[in-house]
Amino acid sequence: MDALIIGSGIAGMACAVRLARHGIHVTLISPSLSEHSESVMAAGGINAMLTENDEGDSVESHVQDTLKGGSYIGGEEAVRGLCGHGEEIIRFLESIGTVFSVDGEGRPSRRAFGGQSHKRTYYCGASTGKQIVSALVMETRRFEAAGMITRRLKYSFHSGLIKDGICYGALLFNLERSRLEAFFSDFTVIATGGQNALFGKTTGSTMCDGYAAGRLFMQGADLKNLEFIQYHPTTLETPQKKMLISEAVRGEGGRLFYLENGERVYFMEDKYGEKGNLMTRDIVSREIYGCGKDVFLDISFLDGQTIDERLPEVRDLCMKYRGIDIKKEPIPVTPSVHFFMGGLAVHLNHETSILNLFAVGECASMYHGANRLGGNSLLSAMYSGFVAADEISGRYSHRKYPDFSTYMENERKILNKDYDSRSSFPVFYIRDLLSVTMNDDLGIVRDEKNLKKGRKKTDYYLSVADKLRYDRSVSQYTNYSLKAMLTLAGATLKAAEERRESRGAHYRSDYNETKDEYAYATLVSYINGDYSVRLDRENIYES
Amino acid sequence: MKVNILRRETRDKEPYWESFIYNGPEDNSVAGLLDYINYNDDIRNDKGEKTTRIDWECSCIQGICGACAMIVNDKPVLACEAFLRDIEGEEITLRPLSKFPVIHDLVVERPMHEILTDNNVFIGEYSPAENRDFQQDYNAAKCLKCGLCIEVCPKYTDGRMFYGAPFANDCYLVAARNEQKAGEIAEIYEKHFKSECAYDLACEKICPMGIKFTASMKKLNSIKRGDGDRSF
Repeated sequence: MDALIIGSGIAGMACAVRLARHGIHVTLISPSLSEHSESVMAAGGINAMLTENDEGDSVESHVQDTLKGGSYIGGEEAVRGLCGHGEEIIRFLESIGTVFSVDGEGRPSRRAFGGQSHKRTYYCGASTGKQIVSALVMETRRFEAAGMITRRLKYSFHSGLIKDGICYGALLFNLERSRLEAFFSDFTVIATGGQNALFGKTTGSTMCDGYAAGRLFMQGADLKNLEFIQYHPTTLETPQKKMLISEAVRGEGGRLFYLENGERVYFMEDKYGEKGNLMTRDIVSREIYGCGKDVFLDISFLDGQTIDERLPEVRDLCMKYRGIDIKKEPIPVTPSVHFFMGGLAVHLNHETSILNLFAVGECASMYHGANRLGGNSLLSAMYSGFVAADEISGRYSHRKYPDFSTYMENERKILNKDYDSRSSFPVFYIRDLLSVTMNDDLGIVRDEKNLKKGRKKTDYYLSVADKLRYDRSVSQYTNYSLKAMLTLAGATLKAAEERRESRGAHYRSDYNETKDEYAYATLVSYINGDYSVRLDRENIYES
Repeated sequence: MKVNILRRETRDKEPYWESFIYNGPEDNSVAGLLDYINYNDDIRNDKGEKTTRIDWECSCIQGICGACAMIVNDKPVLACEAFLRDIEGEEITLRPLSKFPVIHDLVVERPMHEILTDNNVFIGEYSPAENRDFQQDYNAAKCLKCGLCIEVCPKYTDGRMFYGAPFANDCYLVAARNEQKAGEIAEIYEKHFKSECAYDLACEKICPMGIKFTASMKKLNSIKRGDGDRSF
């Protein structure tokens, strides 16, 4: 039995090492090293209820915080599984050498994170994701040396090898040889991260573009909760991107304020009390957006040694990119697209609507509902990888693959036709237009007029994409990924338009109340080139 | 600003120089400069001739993934951390890292992962020594595998015998976490690092993560000597 995993960040590697421990051979695909994955950018920490947590904390409390943060559409059974495995995951990470920050007695340290009733975010300085990646790379290497995991670098996803609702592997693009190659497999796991590139440059990696989710959607996979997009409230603007200022700064006591007549107004504390700065990310983002003023985050009152010990990466980032000394001055912050609660719809076992096709990590929609709590993404990346691996290990190999030669020949022809073009029309131009559309029409505050306008534009880009003669100097991946990205963008706008209420990260100025009739996940299917949007009232993805 | 770039179409083709004129923001980084040139609708070189977009690797654009390592004005750097405001003169020269095979333009193939796998540099069963140095473990685990340290290493040539600082760094991480494997790892370290290292320490000076390779080397050396100092 074997498995093909596409994406080698934390979720992909967690799935790979778990499968290898089950004795299943894994082919691990990525365009680049795991060290280049977006996972290394996760800064703040990983939530877990451990026996040493504060008195009064419990798994149930973590479950309730997560469900509440997700506005009660995160799926209770799924969330119970996630939170119930926090301790196992932390112990596993320790056992493979993850360097958690420790207290004076050598026990892993915890910090407070937004939306949580107790302090339960374990961390590794301000580079928790990087430390976990380093440990998982080492563990993956162990199974590579044993021949249980085979890494294939310089490959990108092209499409699923899918027939009659069953997945038999994937067609991959060999980036170095510029050709399509078929990889057949008993089970295929997508671990390609969120759809950042729809919004241009976000806090995340430029490599996460949503293409795989978009393409599989066009091949029949359902998508879920696309309209729920998390804006991180505190990012630092630089000429090249908006850089994340970790929630750890607020966890350590950082205070948000704006200036009015030269006086500081601590608007979050004024409105929400002592814990105001640690309200959930959707609320803080909307408050910053709504105040219409330049907002700052101050941590300069902490002593320098504490900043050096607990927030060295934030200190260095602010100094390097903006010349700001956080020990002496506040950080100017602005909200930015940060995390996608939506993605491929998966069942509790992380299988998509296509048999033998799984999705894990941020590309899958699970656990976070309408808004993710800080510290739950690393937990869900690890947990989802384990769940998919355990499910696969209990299945049987089919080993009989249908004939995909006609499909592959057709896809090669389409690719070669684009590549033979001498046109200079740059695909980047449409990607830029798309990011402007998404940021303008699907922002922190939305309304029907803008969402319809956005859809009209994406429909137009899609109509053009079919007729384009691509610029051959752009990588073929960049070219062929455009249509699926536009399709995913259109589906996202449509889902946001159909949810005529406000819930979690989805805020409508024309429907600013939460409505019971919408207390379900949104599902989108691609039928005859159109988007079919419905609410999951039967909870078919809660099983 | 004139931008000179050493380009190459494929592994088996000869490299060539091509220049561009950059008129973008002055507070940009080299990563931002490359984006600026590439994102123009119509890419042309300094002679006004139509040309192809410049291939380079990037992911985080904030100095924590290491993908964009390259040589800027003869200095190995991460492109996202090299700022135009620090460039002297009116020209800037970009080259791919020279110690690795070039795949395309500024994209190289870094062999560290294969070398570490082939030499069994992994923890296996976790059994850390007592009195671990958590700070050193934390810093060592931040290695980006970007290759800047190898670029400046006077001893690293083709990676066949001497494997460079990232290899020593991961050997340390294994030895610190598996006391039983420490001796075996110290032997591999001796063979492929210590016996050839010139102790030039250029690796430590250039590391974008500020990793103290000397601290790792000191610990591994003491294991090799068997002088009893096996605390981490």
